[in-house]
Amino acid sequence: MTTSSNAEAMAAMQRQQGPILEVKDLQVDFTTDSNRAVHAVRDSSFSVYPGQWVAIVGESGSGKSTSAMAVLGLLAGTGHVVGGSIKLEGEEISGFSRKQYEQLLGKKMGLVPQDPMSNLNPVWRIGTQVREALQANHMDISHEKRSALAKALAGTDVTVKTNDDETFLGSAQLQGLLDDARQALETAGVPAQRREELMTGFTQAWVPGSETRWRVADDLIKAGVDDDRAWAIAKSRVVGSTLNDRIAGLLSEAGLPEAATRARQFPHEFSGGMLQRALISIGLACRPDLLIADEPTSALDVTVQKRILDHLHTLTDSLGTAVLFITHDLGLAAERAQHIVVMYKGRVVESGPSLEVLQHPQHPYTKRLVAAAPSLASQRIISAKAHGEHGAELASLMEHQVKGEEVLDKGEHIITVEHLTREFKLPRRREMFKAVDDVSFSLKRGTTLAIVGESGSGKSTVANMVLRLLTPTSGTVTYEGEDIAGFSGKRMLDFRRHVQPVFQNPYGSLDPMYTIYRSIEEPLRIHHVGDAKSRERRVAELLDMVKMPRSVMQRYPNELSGGQRQRIAIARAMALNPDVIVCDEAVSALDVLVQDQVLRLLNDLQAERGLSYLFITHDLAVVRQIADEVVVMQHGRLVEHATTDEVFDHPKMEYTRDLLEAIPGGHLSLGLD
Amino acid sequence: MTDETIITNSQAAEPANPVAAPVVLKGQERFVAPLDETPLQDVDSVDEAAPATSMWADAWRTLRRNPLFIVSAVLIVLIVFVALFPKVFTRQDPNFCDLNKSLSDAASGHPFGYDLQGCDVFARTVYGTRTSVSVGILTTLLVLVVGTLIGAFAGFFAGWIDAVLSRVTDIFMAIPLLLGAIVVLQMFRTSSSIWKIVLVLTLFGWTSTERIARGSVMESKNLEFNTASTALGSTPLRNLFRHIMPNSMASIIVVSTTSLGTYIVSEATLSFLGIGLPSTTVSWGGDIANAQTILRTNPMVLFYPSVALAITVLAFIMLGDAVKDALNPKSRTA
Repeated sequence: MTTSSNAEAMAAMQRQQGPILEVKDLQVDFTTDSNRAVHAVRDSSFSVYPGQWVAIVGESGSGKSTSAMAVLGLLAGTGHVVGGSIKLEGEEISGFSRKQYEQLLGKKMGLVPQDPMSNLNPVWRIGTQVREALQANHMDISHEKRSALAKALAGTDVTVKTNDDETFLGSAQLQGLLDDARQALETAGVPAQRREELMTGFTQAWVPGSETRWRVADDLIKAGVDDDRAWAIAKSRVVGSTLNDRIAGLLSEAGLPEAATRARQFPHEFSGGMLQRALISIGLACRPDLLIADEPTSALDVTVQKRILDHLHTLTDSLGTAVLFITHDLGLAAERAQHIVVMYKGRVVESGPSLEVLQHPQHPYTKRLVAAAPSLASQRIISAKAHGEHGAELASLMEHQVKGEEVLDKGEHIITVEHLTREFKLPRRREMFKAVDDVSFSLKRGTTLAIVGESGSGKSTVANMVLRLLTPTSGTVTYEGEDIAGFSGKRMLDFRRHVQPVFQNPYGSLDPMYTIYRSIEEPLRIHHVGDAKSRERRVAELLDMVKMPRSVMQRYPNELSGGQRQRIAIARAMALNPDVIVCDEAVSALDVLVQDQVLRLLNDLQAERGLSYLFITHDLAVVRQIADEVVVMQHGRLVEHATTDEVFDHPKMEYTRDLLEAIPGGHLSLGLD
Repeated sequence: MTDETIITNSQAAEPANPVAAPVVLKGQERFVAPLDETPLQDVDSVDEAAPATSMWADAWRTLRRNPLFIVSAVLIVLIVFVALFPKVFTRQDPNFCDLNKSLSDAASGHPFGYDLQGCDVFARTVYGTRTSVSVGILTTLLVLVVGTLIGAFAGFFAGWIDAVLSRVTDIFMAIPLLLGAIVVLQMFRTSSSIWKIVLVLTLFGWTSTERIARGSVMESKNLEFNTASTALGSTPLRNLFRHIMPNSMASIIVVSTTSLGTYIVSEATLSFLGIGLPSTTVSWGGDIANAQTILRTNPMVLFYPSVALAITVLAFIMLGDAVKDALNPKSRTA
């Protein structure tokens, strides 16, 4: 069968079954304290067909999550559906009561929430939380009952159901099943080498609590065992599993290795990716027809994101589950979904087949999204402003600099890192953990060096050592040819003036008690630059520089969005005219459009002022837009160091290729009109 | 037949040709909204029209709408006014007692009648306000300073400094307030100053504030803006006073306002027991103690200072609750 006829057959079936979810002219309002209605979603329509992936794309506040939550009947606080219709399998559900929704959730609709950290209860074992999902839908009782029935029937010749996909393999029967299978293969006359291959395959595929009777029979038949024998083995050995087997089976379906052990662990023993997998297994535990995934991987590294989404795709395909996928990344949406719905300011602005939307965006907002998506851009941002255009402006900024500063030897490399190693003591362990292991690189003046790696690769530790917020165990960091470990007093303050950080978390890096003015003024105050008047002038200049209105001076960080706070953080870092800015995941927490804006700002500043950036990120797509050189780190070690083009065109290491592979939508071509 | 298959295969083998007319299902046709429906705005623009807010401004807005706050604030303003200007309410000297009038009923200008000693109950109740309110407010302020400083140092420096300071706190926490106060106050029986009460209450009351301060300093010292400040060249101590402590103040203030009422009660209790202020200082606790002997025959003499005490304590506790609601970080929008 070719792909196109496959798709046609699929479409014919979907057409016949009709949409599983049909949302028409949906309107959602939130009531504020002062009884004002805020229209979060206006006249939005979209539909999802069985087995389909549909993506809702939009920036934060576009109403994409609100639409999904309205479908699930889980609108937060004062939100309520005020108009339109939501039909699940043809049945109008928007007017349902809480009780009625409880019947739907889990069995008909499942949810994979956004933040894995806050959506699992830290005091309960993972397995218990999966069990809870099963219990809520009485799947645990029926599961045990069915298992008992299947066990009772196994002795006799009665067929339970021809296509019973509810009879799972139990861990107690696994060994017996494998023995029987080996024997059957021998009887069937399968050659020894092929037999071993098949047995290895069976050992991997037959997961207790997940593998069903008919799939075991099917596997055996495909391996060459005759039908009757295969079914006889399947019936006698696959006789239902315990609930614990089922829980482990569900977790292992979601891609957790050693699921039985993992099920007994607590959330804090899991990494972010593993938590997300646990949430996926909870969302799919009761085999819903529709899974709503609300930015399921936004908090994760791109490589983990790719692995999890790949796995989720295979899993939902094999279960025939439709997925409503919510994301802010158009590239990711286009790669994963067949149909895209673009939302902006609470309205659907464009929708259609994903590739068509991507390649021929019509609405200006969609065009903007396509232009900003880092995954799709394949060029370094070229700043519109060239070097040296800003003589006059620059001079006015320079007058704030403290006079009499010692003239430094201006070498080509502004920061050089040599054999940097940092060890940490782990709790309850004797041996030290090497977070950074013999890393050397140097940052050329006026260029951007990106350090790329997954979380735990030690890249942020390197950044902190370059900033001298951490002392290296061994190795040196030199700034302008001098070892920074030797700095103290005035020289240290001077170093602080010239090397500035911008941190990842835009909500944490500004003091919530400080006005924007005080935050930006702080470095000037610490370094006793100018008097109150000139400082105020300088803050105004800095705000202009990051393209923020001067009126935000008297505001507090909680009134600004993540991207705006990040721009304030950049303004603060720029206050003392630094030479080097260390950006530690500075754009990772931002929506694509805002991310693009901040990257362009950083780039303009570099072009204007000849800044050097040390840019820490997990996202290679961003690297391509901003970096000249790339250092790839894995497990604390430097695995590859080359120019950006070199890394993208001829990656040398397997790991770098994995990272490149993981860029969402990286291989999709676009046609920007 | 075979030829056709080959052609299809070769087509499929070609590098992805994504525009191969996708199958479109009903309800999923291409849709583009008219532009005027959602005019495009600048990326991430600042809403300059939005009213400016800060934590304190937000808290004030929440407070203003809270009936609990309005009632308690009105009461407290009244109580403080009475404490500051008792002469406005009565011209009678509270220490002028005429035994002839012992236990006389209310008369014009003496609405609450006279006590056993023949003193004006109204005047004594009015003048007693000053003692109670000053003890409450002074103790609260002193506890705030002592507890916050010790707690902040313990939380900020951690390590052995924290270990020492925390054990000292534990020791003081283990001593019951009244027991400790009785022992210490025995030594200063002769002094009539309210400061001795304030100091004793502070000595045994700072521990809860220390705990809270230590906890919230530990919490806020790990926030990123401190690292950012350090990288700007700020010293650790500057961070502590400029960033960490202001961010810890909310929870400390909540504890302080709520405990203000209990200090007033403690003062009354100590005076009632006769180890607090001497009888020459007018205080509700002392008056309640004096009135208890005649409770059966003249309950009203005990009633007035008790009610005054109850209302004052209630007002401060209600204020504490309202402040707690307003400053509760969970009820605030990020």
